[in-house]
Amino acid sequence: MSTISPVGTRTEMDHFVLLMWHAFLVAVFFAFLWRSDARGRKILFAKTFVMMAVGAFLLGWLMYPFP
Amino acid sequence: MTADKAQRAAARSKTEADEEPRPVAKGLLFLAWLVPGLGHWLLGKRVRACVFAAVVFAAFVTGVLLDGELAVPQQNSPLSWFFAFGCLGNGVLYLLRLLWANGLDGLFNASFPYGLQGGGDPVAAGFFYGKTFLYTAGLMNLLVVLDVHDIARGDKN
Repeated sequence: MSTISPVGTRTEMDHFVLLMWHAFLVAVFFAFLWRSDARGRKILFAKTFVMMAVGAFLLGWLMYPFP
Repeated sequence: MTADKAQRAAARSKTEADEEPRPVAKGLLFLAWLVPGLGHWLLGKRVRACVFAAVVFAAFVTGVLLDGELAVPQQNSPLSWFFAFGCLGNGVLYLLRLLWANGLDGLFNASFPYGLQGGGDPVAAGFFYGKTFLYTAGLMNLLVVLDVHDIARGDKN
């Protein structure tokens, strides 16, 4: 048996917002981990974020034909 | 000619000595694991410390709010140890969440480390998303610990 968190069981959520939030956090993290200058961080953040967001969209569409 | 050679040899050995990796305090790595961002803070990397702490904390809290479950060791499931190790990367956040979900008595039960609850609600809509956030937070903090190790060793600025 698992316990229920203080906010309770959620029945509604926005998958897209969660995807963007996750991509944002991971992109910020790797930008600061792998780059030490401001410009390099901005570029890596943008690349990582766009790749994750657009990649997820593409994968989602590609999965349509499959059951 | 000989003096020149000796000078070059001395310069080479000095450079090699400069490039020698510095020893890393185990306590620093422990603190870096325990509190996300603390390792960087102690090394004087304040901005990175704040960012890493904020990112790991935000991912962890999102996972908890989505009713995600932390991985805990399970009997006859070696893979569960692997997942638990990933989640254990959250440091004090992992320990507090387990304390919240199990209580002090439940945490140190007779079959410790088995029989623990990872929290969360399996029927919640965000259960698997929550798990993803929790695992991501743990793995990110493990990378932060490795980064602290590299900085302390002198391999990275």
